[in-house]
Amino acid sequence: METRICILLLSFVALECSGCAIFHRHAKPDADTQSSDTNAQTSPDSDANAPPPSVIDPQVERRTVKVPSIRPSNVELGVYYGELSIQDFGAQPVAGLRFDYHISEDFFAEATYGRAKAGFTSFETLSNIQLLSDAERRFTYYNLSLGYNLLPGEVFVGRNLAMTSAFYLLGGIGSVKFAGDQNFTVNFGAGFRVLPTDWLALHIDVQDLVFRSDVTGEEELKNNLQATFGLTVFF
Amino acid sequence: MERSITTTRSTRRWPTKVAPLIAALLLSLLAAAAASAREYLQLFVVQPYLELHTGPGRGYPVTQVVARGESVDVLMRRTEWFKVRTEHGVEGWAYERDLVHTTLADGTPFQINLGDRAGFAAHRWESGVFGGAYAGASTISAYQAFSLTDNLKIELSGAQYLGNLSNGYLVDFGFAHVFMPNWRFSPFVTLGGGYERVEPKATLAEPLSSSNQTAYVGVGVRYYLGRRLFLRGELREHEVFTNQNSNEVKNEWKLGFAFFY
Repeated sequence: METRICILLLSFVALECSGCAIFHRHAKPDADTQSSDTNAQTSPDSDANAPPPSVIDPQVERRTVKVPSIRPSNVELGVYYGELSIQDFGAQPVAGLRFDYHISEDFFAEATYGRAKAGFTSFETLSNIQLLSDAERRFTYYNLSLGYNLLPGEVFVGRNLAMTSAFYLLGGIGSVKFAGDQNFTVNFGAGFRVLPTDWLALHIDVQDLVFRSDVTGEEELKNNLQATFGLTVFF
Repeated sequence: MERSITTTRSTRRWPTKVAPLIAALLLSLLAAAAASAREYLQLFVVQPYLELHTGPGRGYPVTQVVARGESVDVLMRRTEWFKVRTEHGVEGWAYERDLVHTTLADGTPFQINLGDRAGFAAHRWESGVFGGAYAGASTISAYQAFSLTDNLKIELSGAQYLGNLSNGYLVDFGFAHVFMPNWRFSPFVTLGGGYERVEPKATLAEPLSSSNQTAYVGVGVRYYLGRRLFLRGELREHEVFTNQNSNEVKNEWKLGFAFFY
């Protein structure tokens, strides 16, 4: 009797175990297992070439260190105002724009654009005959120059204030539009620059604009001296 | 009557109403400026000491030195000079050739494009100004070039020419090939095309302006002067495609200074 009960119990246990295995077989495999199976089927060689699985996958991105850039401040932009003595046509106010690029400690390139309005020649004043129309009296010029800081230095205001400065020479070429004609111009001069702060500069400039013209009869070299005050900002 | 008074008063008070708005705007601008306050590059002195001058020039006196191991913040650069601030808040100007001996925070050496012969051979941008002649007329011209390689550059140039019979403008775009960029005296050839604008002088019978397409080929030399400056001379032959029976050939020469950066 006991052996019969034992056999019955054992067969029940065996049935239970096989039943579990049956249930397990029908259970739905999870997604990961399925995908790895698919991969294995599609590329059987990938396992051989794949790197060994890492023990720790630290999921930390390397921080890119951004090095701050250095602000360049070589460009000077500003305005000037002064007096231009147009040969034979008197001295008149002149105003203009200037752009400087500091190439090195010693040299800088400069572009200027200026405008003035010529006065009257002594002939016009005495005879009451006008040589030029109003539009032709407009004196417009531009210059492209190279400057050289001949005497860099410092100026002192009182006991506590020192400002960097430079006496510079300037020469270049350009064009003058005057008296209904446009003329090739050579310019040369000198100037003085003082920097009250690192970004602001005050200028005093004297220049001669020389061009060949026949506006007053025979063709000759015209010297047009200009003295200006300027204000520029460094960028 | 009261109304008119009210109107007058309101007109007078208008600026005071706007004033807070302006103040708010200024404050917001200041706040924006403060928010965008620059983060400066920090450099560490590894040489025995770093000299600081009072101004951006070799003649300005040295009034401060930064000791080895200390750092400076680089505030700005002007030509070969860098304005720096020490850990103690002292500001001064350091020379670029002294700063190349410093290191960044991670210990790597501070590298900078120096304006020297190596820079003349290999740089990204260059600009220049020339005087010359185009078909007998005086010219004023300027150019800008970008280096694709040390040898090959793309160039854009503009010129105004002023002659006895006509004035006009030229705009050219093309390539320049420098044969030996590392030589002080380096030859190059140019090739490109552009436009020519002719404005005959009003005294002539046919004061009609015209624009023509052009193609050019040129040969020239560059001569390194020092720092970032060099001389450049070029001869160009322009083929001007006119609407007449034959094209015109105009020669141009130009000589001037240029600089790289």
